[in-house]
Amino acid sequence: MLWVDKYRPKTLDQVIVHQDIALNLKKLVTEQDCPHLLFYGPSGSGKKTLIMALLRQVFGPGAEKVKVENRNWKIDAGSRTIDLELTTLSSANHVELSPSDVGFQDRYIVQEIIKEMAKNRPIDTKGKRGYKVLVLNEVDKLSREAQHSLRRTMEKYSTSCRLILCCNSSSKVIEAIRSRCLNVRINAPTEEQIVKVLEFIGKKEGLQLPSGFAARIAEKSNRSLRRAILSFETCRVQQLRSIMPLINEYPFTSNQAIPPMDWEEYVSEIASDIMKEQSPKRLFQVRGKLYELLTNCIPPEIVLKRLLYELLKRLDAELKHEICHWAAYYTSSLVMLKLYLLPLIEVSLYSMSAVKFHGPVISKLPLKLIIFLQEHRMRLGQKAIFHLEAFVAKFMSIYKGFLITTFG
Amino acid sequence: MLGFCSLNPKKSIAMRKKAGVVVLSSDDEDDNPSLSSNRSYAKSKSKPLVTRTNPRPAKKPRLSGSRSRSRFCKESSNVNEIGVSFEDFDDLLNGFKVSAGSGRIGTNELWVDKYKPCSLEELAVHKKKVEEIKTWFEKRLRTKDDSSNHVLVITGQAGVGKSATIHVIASHLGARLYEWNTPTPTIWQEHVHNCNSGVRYTSKLDEFENFIDRIRKYGLITPSFTGESRSSIILVIDDLPVTNGRTAFERLQNCLLLLVRSVRIPTAIVVTECEKADSGDYTPRSFEELQSSLENAGACKVAFNPITNNSIKKTLLRICRQEQCSLTAEQIDLLAKASGGDIRHAITSLQLVCMKPDRMLNLPSSNSSSNFPKENADELSASGSGFSMQFGRDETLSLFHALGKFLHNKRETENVTGMDQDAFSVLGKFSRLPFKMDAPEMVLCQAHGQARPVADFLHENVLEFISEEAMDDASAVASYLGDADLLFASFRGILTRYNEAENVLQSAAASVAVRGVLFGNSHPLSSRWHAIRRPKLWQVEQSAMRNKIELVKNRVAYNGSSLSDVSVIATELAPALKWLGYRSSRGIESRDVSMQGNETEDDSLASLDDEECEISDDDEIEDW
Repeated sequence: MLWVDKYRPKTLDQVIVHQDIALNLKKLVTEQDCPHLLFYGPSGSGKKTLIMALLRQVFGPGAEKVKVENRNWKIDAGSRTIDLELTTLSSANHVELSPSDVGFQDRYIVQEIIKEMAKNRPIDTKGKRGYKVLVLNEVDKLSREAQHSLRRTMEKYSTSCRLILCCNSSSKVIEAIRSRCLNVRINAPTEEQIVKVLEFIGKKEGLQLPSGFAARIAEKSNRSLRRAILSFETCRVQQLRSIMPLINEYPFTSNQAIPPMDWEEYVSEIASDIMKEQSPKRLFQVRGKLYELLTNCIPPEIVLKRLLYELLKRLDAELKHEICHWAAYYTSSLVMLKLYLLPLIEVSLYSMSAVKFHGPVISKLPLKLIIFLQEHRMRLGQKAIFHLEAFVAKFMSIYKGFLITTFG
Repeated sequence: MLGFCSLNPKKSIAMRKKAGVVVLSSDDEDDNPSLSSNRSYAKSKSKPLVTRTNPRPAKKPRLSGSRSRSRFCKESSNVNEIGVSFEDFDDLLNGFKVSAGSGRIGTNELWVDKYKPCSLEELAVHKKKVEEIKTWFEKRLRTKDDSSNHVLVITGQAGVGKSATIHVIASHLGARLYEWNTPTPTIWQEHVHNCNSGVRYTSKLDEFENFIDRIRKYGLITPSFTGESRSSIILVIDDLPVTNGRTAFERLQNCLLLLVRSVRIPTAIVVTECEKADSGDYTPRSFEELQSSLENAGACKVAFNPITNNSIKKTLLRICRQEQCSLTAEQIDLLAKASGGDIRHAITSLQLVCMKPDRMLNLPSSNSSSNFPKENADELSASGSGFSMQFGRDETLSLFHALGKFLHNKRETENVTGMDQDAFSVLGKFSRLPFKMDAPEMVLCQAHGQARPVADFLHENVLEFISEEAMDDASAVASYLGDADLLFASFRGILTRYNEAENVLQSAAASVAVRGVLFGNSHPLSSRWHAIRRPKLWQVEQSAMRNKIELVKNRVAYNGSSLSDVSVIATELAPALKWLGYRSSRGIESRDVSMQGNETEDDSLASLDDEECEISDDDEIEDW
């Protein structure tokens, strides 16, 4: 078992990082009825840990006995039936799922499945709560339609069902939902807090931590506790392997290297490729490497972010501003921002379809739509590579121009 | 069952004498009972089982090698059946109908039927092909060797003389033809009428199955069977019933396989091929599947190629001579070229051209249609870009041809058009020389390109067509492709209600992609040889999807008691686990495999796209 799981606090009392929030939550569920909750905060800040500890607080140790199911649903949507498969994690009292896994059909999940679950009130044994809890992950990735139907579901079945929503950014959750939930912001842990956790783990594992080592890990972790614990564990294994394979424990050295993730190394490789040569041929090679990353399910926006980071490290200060601008431009076209302003698009498209298709259509695209697309470049193009590559090409073009003007 | 023809020449002729009217209108009557007022009709319907022994010759009694068929089926009233859509043609034919009475006798039939080949020499098909089929039939007819297979599958595009060849050969060998023609579909009113009169509806596929079943079990026991030796019979299955959907298709396939395995009469199955480039849809693929399965079952396959220009010209000349119309060799040449190897089309066009000499004759030479400036015919056809005469078939391009046009980005060497005074004056940076091709949208149309694949292909290949120095160009192209992708991606699945809108959007996106590539590449390389690759993107998408599913499936293995985001697993947990050497969970192992061995794994799974892969590997884009 990974340390991340092994040292995950099981109860609200054990929590180290967000003690105040944990105590508040505990007070809330012991003294009052549990409202709908919306947890939001950056990745690796401990949202899920808190949720699970909370569930245990409410339902007792039974909440930890979970079973995983790949459930199939048949949904009758007017003329056709839709088959959906979704992984759920459920105990007697709660069900956890990520509706956004099913893509644009998420609204069916929300409409039908949640409704169905919420309708079945748990058997009310003595002293037990008369509600079930639904934990929904990645609510910010739900489409707007799904979010709206979620809102209705919340109202209708609130007596029998509590929702715990979990997401990274609350700005992508519609106002209506946010106002119906108790919003709990989970900040990224500070580096000091991370160090504290690492020292706690070190003590439990019986490891000697040289001074400054935990601080360096915390610094590298980008304030993600999960990341920090993972690198901590990899460091230990690295230590074991490289020096004394037979000895189980070995003291860390304070200047020990902290291995990056394999894909991060790969991105850094790509960045140096780009810096070395700027030509269509090189662009083509870079494309191959980007494909490799995408094949391994590294989300494209994370690739682009990392790539920008690596490029900026190597770049002259005067170009940084421009490159950041373009990175933002192409990232925004990668980011999924479903269904905002859809009415506008529908109107535009309607007027477009009235225009017969002759010759160069682009001039006939309604101006509004063009402006709209340029401002938002909004959703994940189906083909992330187009945008990643466009960014790389733009960078190469700018950088080459810069080199030529500077060095002639 | 109605489509099955019992053909005793003597008898049918006798019948025709007795009830000429019946025969002449038999087409209509069998298929449109509601319209029919024939007395014998009701009788046959009331006893459906008897139809096979019905002494009335069934519809379309095509006698092998004789021209009698044309007498029945194409009376002048049926002229509109030809199915030629353009109005000029109809006009002309109508005009022709009026003049027919006073003009030449017996000319009021289509030349296609009038000049049906009646000897081996007259066939425009390549001699070797004819010979091959002839010997095949000879062998089957002469020797009663039961071990060899008895089915010949003939394939080829429309109008290459598949049926004609069989008919001519049959008459040459003195064999009689028994044909299956798919019955005319039942229309709804008919169906209602039938129901009222108590006749049960049988699907055409059912009828076909019954027919095949009978053939297999009993051979051709027909009322007209007069004791002649069995060997002089040839069974022809000319057009296969239309199947819709997978199950129907499988039924048809099984039925034909049974036929191939057990039939004892020499049988020819004629399959008309659709052009592959035409559509990404299901039909051509299923026909290929059908052919190969028949071949595997032991059928012999002969593929007909489009008829060569010379053969067509020869035939046209012969017809011209017999009709005494004077066309120049040039015009005939043009007709032949325009037909695209379809001789039926060529002859029909010839008839059209000869119809109103005053109007049509000046057409090929001076080309009054406004599309083209006055040029002589040779240049016109040589230009190759738009041979859209009134009698031409629609020009199509293969996808690769079109891609080549876009990628090579041929332009005039200088700006010659005088239009520029009217148009905007464009900044020097943004002005480009005029295209050496039609408008990109037109080329797209001709290539039947689906918008998305076109963009993918362009994305995959465009970098090689950009000169090594021109990084700015590459960046512009990439950015336009990104824009196109946004247009493509925007409303997928959301706007299904607005099909029309989605179509427009797709076209617009394709237009942006193509024009972006054309505009962005401002310093096109001088053309040299390039192979066009299949987009690797498709493969990447597939394997990414698989990996993702794998990750989702095993997400629990990564994280004991809660579900983690896929992105978290992919970026943090999985690499860490890999680093730590935890190999126990399956998800991680499969990840390793995909890291190292993408290619091997994907090849087996990308079988759907393999066809296209082959095409792209073989297709060489030379300079046009």
